Amino acid sequence: MELKFFWAQVRDLTVASLKSRYRKTFAGFIWVVLNPLLMFGVQSLVFKTFMRIQVPDYNLFLLGGLLPWIFFSSTIQMTTPLFVSQSHLLRSFKINPMVIFGSQVLDNFINFVASFLLIVLPFYLSTGRDFSTLLLLPLALIPLLIGTLSIGVALSTINVFFRDTNFVMGFIFNLLFYVTPVFYPKEYIPTNWQWIVDFNPAIYLLNPFRSLIYFSDGTFWMATLKGFGVSLVLFSTAVIIWKRKRNAFYHKL
Amino acid sequence: MPSTINSEVLLSVKNLKVHFELEHYQHHGLRDVFVSAITHPVEFFLKRPELLNVIDDVSFDVTRGMRLGLLGVNGSGKTTLCRCLAGMMVAQSGSITTEAEVRAIFDTGTGILPELTGRENAFLLARLFFPEVKDLKPLVNEALEFSELGHFLDVPFRQYSKGMQARLMLSLISAKSTDVLILDEVLDGADYFFQQKLSVRMRNFIQSAGATIFVSHSADQVREVCDQVLVMNKGKIGFIGGVEEGLDYYHKNLAPVS
Repeated sequence: MELKFFWAQVRDLTVASLKSRYRKTFAGFIWVVLNPLLMFGVQSLVFKTFMRIQVPDYNLFLLGGLLPWIFFSSTIQMTTPLFVSQSHLLRSFKINPMVIFGSQVLDNFINFVASFLLIVLPFYLSTGRDFSTLLLLPLALIPLLIGTLSIGVALSTINVFFRDTNFVMGFIFNLLFYVTPVFYPKEYIPTNWQWIVDFNPAIYLLNPFRSLIYFSDGTFWMATLKGFGVSLVLFSTAVIIWKRKRNAFYHKL
Repeated sequence: MPSTINSEVLLSVKNLKVHFELEHYQHHGLRDVFVSAITHPVEFFLKRPELLNVIDDVSFDVTRGMRLGLLGVNGSGKTTLCRCLAGMMVAQSGSITTEAEVRAIFDTGTGILPELTGRENAFLLARLFFPEVKDLKPLVNEALEFSELGHFLDVPFRQYSKGMQARLMLSLISAKSTDVLILDEVLDGADYFFQQKLSVRMRNFIQSAGATIFVSHSADQVREVCDQVLVMNKGKIGFIGGVEEGLDYYHKNLAPVS
């Protein structure tokens, strides 16, 4: 299918599902911003005020990791059951399953952008950082988008065959949050434990964003390069899993 | 099959084979997999999955103007065959050669977003059915008129009866002529009068362009719509030819052995 058609389908489906959601309740929109704001507020209170983590501009540091983490984890947890929950639609007629997928990711990405504009931007500007740095933002977000999408597609496909995948992933994500340097700097980890971070794909996808808005230095390019590398590996894995399973997929839905 | 000789071939199926791995049926979840990998490691890593042949060496042509009825008992491979023709599944071997545009529908009870109205769902469905159409308005409006759903169009889709859902879906899928239209057991939801109306629309549509593949268990519907019949039997073609002979074959050969 041509990319243009694909995009038109993803766009229309996303707009319609936003419409459907907010017709039911406007609280949904408020929650989109309130949820990360509350998570940020509590974590900032606990780690900065109670535990006194010594990091300059800790709020911005925390947001730089927490916001992409929320996008990453919530998108994956929302998309893992997607093929199964939309099985009726997928079996009914020829629809590119990636349209449904793309639409859910776009929906979450819109939330990400909304919370970026409403929460991160004020903090960013209040620290007197250079506004023009933000022009590189799209570049920082590409690995995050591709990586999240790829893990989501792979897990959603696996979930068709093993229906407890989402349950298992919920558990794994709880663990992953603590071993991914989101609310603490990587330097806090003793050297002999650093491998935990080195083998954690999540951090490579999150790093470019934090590197850009918090460190605002040369580390950005290296972080982005690594992010692209990891997201490419994840993408290839997702393609292989999808191609191998696409027939049995319809049989098993 | 005199009508197919010398006709333009829209879709050519050659030695098509589709199989599924049966391993997935033994494990229900990741936790099962984990447990069997630990308790029976040798079997787990060395055992080859069993294969279930769903389509076994099937070849036939679909020609322009053909109204092909597809018959067979449950599990004989009809839907899998249709999914391959529609491009949803990829066969492990064999080929489907086509330049034609193939459109298929397998179930009519599908609103994409049940909270939205029938009309809104119709536009969304049209975007998915006809991605190449830029301005969907005239096409969708015609389909909505054809559906005769009237003021129900502005009611949320989740409140629709099965019959109303079928009307909406069938009106839409047939709103634009296509080379090959596949209808897999979808007429049953609609009432008799709407079936008649749709049958006329499909005939006009076939006359103007392509071919139809029609899956049904109803002999009356097959007689009404089709001019040829293909009977699937355990993944193979049991019969292909005239409607009455096909129905005869179906009733005589596929009856359960008691």
